[in-house]
Amino acid sequence: MDLFTGGHVGCRGCGAAIAARQAMEALGPRTIIVIPASCMATIGGSGLRTAWRIPFYHSLFECAPAVASGIRAALEVQGIREVNVVSWAGDAGTADIGFQSLTGAAERNEDIIHVCYDNESYMNTGGQAGGTTPFGAWTSDTPSGKPTRQKDMLAIMAAHRPPYLATASIAYPKDFIDKLKRAKEIKGFRYIHVLAPCHRGWGIKEEETVEMARLAVECGLWELYEIRAGEKRLTVVPERKVPVQEYLRRQQRFRTLSEEDLAFFQAKAST
Amino acid sequence: MRQLLNGNEATAIAARLARVEVLASYPITPAAPAMEQIVRFISEGKLKAKFIRVESDHSALAAAVGAALAGARPLVVTNSQGLAYMSEVLYHASGLRLPIVMAVVNRGLAAPHTRFPDHGDAIAQEGSGWIQLFCENNQEVLDTLLQAYRLAEDERVRLPVMVHYESYIQSHTREVVEVPAPETVDKFLPLHRRPALDVDNPQAVNVVTGPDLYMDYKYRQDKALQDSQEVLCEVDTAYAELTGRSWGGTLGVYRLDGAEHIFVTMGSLASTCREVVDMLREDGLPVGLLKVRCFRPFPGEKVRSLLKGARTVTVLDKNIVYGSGGALAREVRASLYGPGPEGPFVYSYIAGLGGRDVTSEDVVRIYQMVEEKVKGNQEPLPYEWYGIE
Repeated sequence: MDLFTGGHVGCRGCGAAIAARQAMEALGPRTIIVIPASCMATIGGSGLRTAWRIPFYHSLFECAPAVASGIRAALEVQGIREVNVVSWAGDAGTADIGFQSLTGAAERNEDIIHVCYDNESYMNTGGQAGGTTPFGAWTSDTPSGKPTRQKDMLAIMAAHRPPYLATASIAYPKDFIDKLKRAKEIKGFRYIHVLAPCHRGWGIKEEETVEMARLAVECGLWELYEIRAGEKRLTVVPERKVPVQEYLRRQQRFRTLSEEDLAFFQAKAST
Repeated sequence: MRQLLNGNEATAIAARLARVEVLASYPITPAAPAMEQIVRFISEGKLKAKFIRVESDHSALAAAVGAALAGARPLVVTNSQGLAYMSEVLYHASGLRLPIVMAVVNRGLAAPHTRFPDHGDAIAQEGSGWIQLFCENNQEVLDTLLQAYRLAEDERVRLPVMVHYESYIQSHTREVVEVPAPETVDKFLPLHRRPALDVDNPQAVNVVTGPDLYMDYKYRQDKALQDSQEVLCEVDTAYAELTGRSWGGTLGVYRLDGAEHIFVTMGSLASTCREVVDMLREDGLPVGLLKVRCFRPFPGEKVRSLLKGARTVTVLDKNIVYGSGGALAREVRASLYGPGPEGPFVYSYIAGLGGRDVTSEDVVRIYQMVEEKVKGNQEPLPYEWYGIE
């Protein structure tokens, strides 16, 4: 049974909705999900309708991991076991406005799973730049391309030394689902960062969402791995390798990238 | 059992008696010792609760929201900047009808920086939808916190409650407090769980709400808040039956019989004013005191019926709503509007901000100033600042 069902109001080809649907395969019905302000917080319900078949709370922007911590504490005092408590935030609710509560929960090693679904921009407010927006990307408030590099959220979260950390991509559902299944079995703070392209923000066609999520991996800009107890392991080695321009040039947001910029990305992909 | 307790210790003991299950707090002066004491109770095994060592005040209330949504009994302790920082979350707690109780150790808001008491932090949240109860001494702090849980969890209410007491004057001053037996409190405060987030009964909480529904939710929220006045009076009566102590429900009245000049105030100033009433009564002056315990919801009808026969009303506010005046005076005037020209004049004084002491001599001086104005047929100004040279 789908736990994030049809009838949500996401765009056709919405990468975030694909990510949620895949994740629920692994997480199952004994899951409580907290989603702060974001597309995902709004597309799953309105008025008296909802597409969620699990308990869902649309929290305030800054605090999903704190709310999740409170939920876990409440379950523990009541002796309610075997429930996944998940805070599921976009890149803003994870890396920027939500970072304070995230770093707090990670440092306390709260028994929660935080999933960042990253579309590399603030899409729910119309596509402004944020901390994970790549260098050079056009957004509605970086009309000449973003002048600074994206923050390295995986390095930041790895520095918290969580029991489990992983990257994922909606183009590799089995990898994503397996990682969530492994994460479920671990106690403590678990962080999964899934690349979930947004066709509106990226300037691609709606049917290209998954393709872009695959190209990101194939060009080497988005590596699929996990870190357990400090040990990093690649989980997907793409069958083919492509130059970064095959990924970047397909996206309208990168239309102003110079050859020099492309070289910068290519260097990043090769390291 | 009688114990010598400061306000923070009274809070900690109330938390233990109420069998609080989740404590989420971020340290702030002067509320932090209450949090530390509760954490000690937890570590010593005297209270079975989870302490969430959050990284901010915003997250403290957010965690309490999560705990309440999942069916536990949470407590939050904070004040001033911490409360201001929580402001956004306050509206989630009330809009989601969550029975969260918060002890607020009232302290003036910066800038300029201060650690000392006034009610500005509380008043800034007057529209947040929380029930706001003000305490004049540490006995009332303990009793009110216990009453607050019963009130918050009442099915007719389901709203969060702030229990206010003042920094240092109460938080760090020891008084004799009668501590009820745990069995008595258990009888008064049975735990009713009603989780909104439950894997066996999944619900979506706080989905996008359009003009077709938003206003109806707000109507019900406001009605529940207004109706909680009556529930508070019931709760206070039930508490009095078990402990012998009543705090008057929403209002405390003192020597109003035959009183022509009535003081109205909240918090620790009520104790000062009570002494002044006794002093002036000994001189044969017909004065009385109306203490507002419940500022939100404001018991306007009762206030009106108690004050309308007075000649003069003097309101002492330990807060300033910039550009408007004292919040309590504004409420009192609004509740009196309507009796017509025969209603009493309301004189409004801003006093004691940021810990400036208001002694019984000050209250007597205010009384004399007002009486001079009455004799001279001087209509009240919207508000005056007391003690500014």
